[in-house]
Formats: sequence, C-alpha cells, structure tokens
Amino acid sequence: MTEAEGRDEQMPDERPPFLGTWPRVYAAVLAWVAVLIFLFWMFARAFAG
Amino acid sequence: MRPLDWIVMFGWLAFIVSIGLWRGRGSGTTRKYMLAGKTMPWYAMGLSIIATQASAITFISTTGQAYVDGMRFVQFYFGLPIAMVILSATAVPIFHRANVYTAYEYLEKRFDAKTRALVSAIFLIQRGLAAGLALYAPAVALSVILGWPDRVTTVIMGVLVMLYTSWGGIKAVTWADVYQMALITAALVLAFGMAVYLLPHNVSFGDALSLAGVMGRLDAVTTKFDLNDRYNIWSGLIGGAFLALAYFGCDQSQVQRYLTGRSIAQSRLSLLFTAVAKIPMQFFILFIGAMVFVFFVFEKPPLLFHPVERANIAAHTGYSTVQQSYDAAFERRREAAEQFLAARHSGNATSPAADRYRDAQRDLDAAHTAAERLVSRDFNDTNFIFLSFVTRYLPAGVVGLIIAVIFSAAMSSTSGEINSLATVSVIDIYRRHFQPDASDRHYVMASRVATILWGCFAVGFANFGRDFGALIEAVNMVGSLFYGGLLGVFVLAFFCRRVGGNGAFYGVLAGEAAIFAANRFTHIGFLWYNVIGCVVVVAVGQAISASRQREPAPATK
Repeated sequence: MTEAEGRDEQMPDERPPFLGTWPRVYAAVLAWVAVLIFLFWMFARAFAG
Repeated sequence: MRPLDWIVMFGWLAFIVSIGLWRGRGSGTTRKYMLAGKTMPWYAMGLSIIATQASAITFISTTGQAYVDGMRFVQFYFGLPIAMVILSATAVPIFHRANVYTAYEYLEKRFDAKTRALVSAIFLIQRGLAAGLALYAPAVALSVILGWPDRVTTVIMGVLVMLYTSWGGIKAVTWADVYQMALITAALVLAFGMAVYLLPHNVSFGDALSLAGVMGRLDAVTTKFDLNDRYNIWSGLIGGAFLALAYFGCDQSQVQRYLTGRSIAQSRLSLLFTAVAKIPMQFFILFIGAMVFVFFVFEKPPLLFHPVERANIAAHTGYSTVQQSYDAAFERRREAAEQFLAARHSGNATSPAADRYRDAQRDLDAAHTAAERLVSRDFNDTNFIFLSFVTRYLPAGVVGLIIAVIFSAAMSSTSGEINSLATVSVIDIYRRHFQPDASDRHYVMASRVATILWGCFAVGFANFGRDFGALIEAVNMVGSLFYGGLLGVFVLAFFCRRVGGNGAFYGVLAGEAAIFAANRFTHIGFLWYNVIGCVVVVAVGQAISASRQREPAPATK
C-alpha cells in the first residue's frame, strides 16, 4: 500500500445542503421520528374498533 | 413458478451480477477495492446501507410477524434515527479523519493492538454467523417453490455473490445494492397493491384496515414498559438505539459503506437518509403482512403454510379433528367478519360481531397451533406465510419478481457482509499480524481470496439455518450477543479519553461475559443486551483505568 494511497487529505467539515447547520438537520430527523411514532399510534387507534 | 417467472428471476440475477462486474471494474488497489477510492455519493451509500440491512429475512419473516402478531416489530427501528444522528455527529468525522480502512484499525490508534485484535475477532465471529443466516433465507424460498434442497440454493446464491464481490470489492457491492433497492421498492409496492386488489370486491380498503385493526394487526406502538417484552416503544427507542449505534457505528459491514464517501458531509447524508427512510419502509413491509392477514380472512389459508409439513400432516393421528376445527373456525371468522363490516357500514362500530370475529380468530389460532404441534414441537410456520401468499395467488411474472426481490435482498446483505469480513481479515489480521510489508497488489489479491473463503463459510453455515425459528429474530439475537461489547469499546474510544488499552480490552471481555450471563440466566429481551453490554464495558473500562493511575494516557489521534 503506497503512502499516497494510504493517507487522506484532512477532510473539511462541509455545511449541509439544506437547513444551514448540521444540528438543525439532526433536529429535523428526530422530529420526523416523533411525528412517525405519533402517526402510527393514531393509525392503530383509529382502526382498533 | 411459470416460464415468465423463471425469465424474470434469472434475468434479474444475470443483470445484477453483470452490474456488479461492470461497476466494479478498475478496483485494482486496496483503496479502490475496499473504499471505492472514496468517491461514492450519499444516495448510493444510503441505498446500499438500507439494502444491506434489509436482508431476505426481512421480507420472509417480517411480513409473517405482522400476520400473526401485528406491526409491533416496527418499534425495533424507533431508535435507529437517534443512533444515526449520534453517529453522524461523532463516528463519521472521527473515522474519516483517522484515515482508516476498518473501524477496528482506529481502535489500535486509540488503544492498542490487543484491543483491535479482540474486537476484530468478535466481529468476524458475529458477522460470519449472520452472513450464513442471511444466505439461508432464499434457500427457504426456493425449497417452498421448487422442492429443491436448500443446500443447492445456498451454493448458487453464494457463488453469484462471490463472483461480483470478489471481483469488484465495495464499489461492486454498493452499486449492485442501488439497483437491488430499486427493485425491492418496486416489488414491495406491487405486492401491497396485489394484496389489496385481491380482496373481495365488496371489501374496501377502509374495511380492510378495520378488519386488521380490530384484530390488533395494525398495533404498532406499545407504550407499556416491560423488560421481558421484546417489542415496545421503550425497548425500541433505548435498546433499538443501542443496537443501531453498534450496528452502524461498530460493524464493519456498515462502517465500510460510509467510509467510501467523498466527504464527511456525503457520509453524514447517507446515514441521515437511512434514518428518514428506514422506519416508513419497515412499516410498509409490515403493513403488507397485515393486508395478507385480511386477504386470508376471506380466502381460507392452509392449515400449515409450510408446504412439506402441510403434505406430511395428513399422516398424523388427530389430523382430521384438527382440520375440522380449523375449517369450522375459519367459516365462523369469515361470517363474523362480514357481519362486522355490515355493522360498520351501518354505523354500529361496537357491534358484538367484533367480539365474535375475535373469538373465531382465537379458535383458528388454537387449531393452527395444534397442527404445528402435530408435525413438530418446535415448528415455526411464520416464515412461510408471505411466500405461500405470493406463490399461490399472485400472477405470472409478479411471482418471479417477488422471488427475485428475495434473492436480491439476500445477495445485497451477503455481499456486504463477506466484503467487510474479507476487509477485516486482511487489514486487521493478515496485514497487521502476518504480512505487514507486502505490495498493494498482494493485498488486493488476498482480499479476493478472503472474500471467496468467507463466502464458502457463509454457504456452509447456512445449512444450520433450519435449526432456528423466526429467522429475523435469530439474526438480531446473534447480533445482540456481541454488539453491546463492540459499542462499549467505541464509546470508550470516543468519549472516555482517560481510558487506555487495558481498560478497553478487559472492559470488552467483562461486557461480553455480562451479555452471555443475561442470555443464560434471565428472560430479559435481547434488545436490552446491547445496553447491558455497553454499560458494563464502559463501567469496567473506567474502573480499571481509574485503578491504574500510572497507565499512560492514550495518544490523541
């Protein structure tokens, strides 16, 4: 394995393509989960008879 | 299987192998073979991550679980997005900047060689077993359809996967996964559409939801906290998060995937894409199982779904009695379902027909359980429900497509697994301990040989798959026996700067001992093993480091 191939350049921490910052993207993902759980719960209740 | 099904199935298999070979060309260096030259876009990595995790077992067993137990299994994935967020913020930048080929290579930089060797060995054992189970699932599929010995099927599957994985490495694996995910998505939508389309004409989609819901088949969230209950919101959020942290953060079959990203941002996006897509996808797969349940409310399901056991049961004493009670219970359930729907249409939602419908279901379940006991004490019919529906009721071409999906899912999981097993074998064991100064070309060749050897091992181990019950639980069970220890050592590495090599090494051993003790002596649900193992590793690692004040602090990498 050559030295050139075995080593990377230092990788910069780029901004996300949407929502501006990574913490905001993370918050959006967690909010999505909370919404899904709520919808699943409502869905089961709606048809539980 | 009709001729069109054969054409669709073999056409797809040939296409996937060709794609793998074509996309994997030019992987002549270790960096290209193991990391795709760090050129992969987020969507390819994300789809590949999902494809690797969604094994054939997911389709065969999960749909069956929804049929018999409702959709509670989806809670298993509730913790996954939490884990993805944590990993995006921590592991992704750390691994990328450490310039490593494997997650365990990082452990030597952070701790020492013995910790790296121990964790690599744990991974090789755990993932090697799981690779065998992932290959066994399509063998089940073909044994149902053709009556072929499952050993023949596992060999065919194994050879196809070894072909393109050993040739093209991670690049072949990733791009083949992208196409396989496209087919899987299309086939899932088709299977769902067919399950709804095949319902009687006087049963609307809303009726189907009511029939499934009244029987608890749409229950997806259980809020009651119970350590012995495998699937509730708490075990999903906490135990599932720990399992996902371990799987996506410490399992080379997943870490290697996002190490191929062209930047930290691309790798993060691939994990976050998985976080957003995985739960709806799993919900949809379970929902198909719930719709198959409703379909069989009106179309009599076989006494047993397993075709071989179904053929054998007639020879058993007591068969006639069981079959008669089953037939009677089915008729009662169908009539009660029709009465329930009539009451629903007239606005009487609390009709006694709902109670009769549930009572008939209990009788039907009792007759089915009696039939299972007649043929074998440990027999589990769940894995054959979806396959039975597909092969008996779906039209020509669609059957071939669904079977191709099951093959695709198995191939995508197995290719990722044997590729990562080969990478760890070469980078963490062979190059580190046996041949540190060979040429790049030598390591690529060693990786190809290791891929083939691990493929052969997976095929061999797959023959033990028949000894497990519901396959998906078996796979998760194997993972949970080891993941807690793996996760604990990476938590020490990332967050406990004062802990050194001895603390990490003995911490892992203590964590694994705790998990096996919990498995042997308690009834705690297996999702909690990850929590137990991780906590013990961190506690023991911290305690040992605290007691060894003179242990040199680890170098910061």
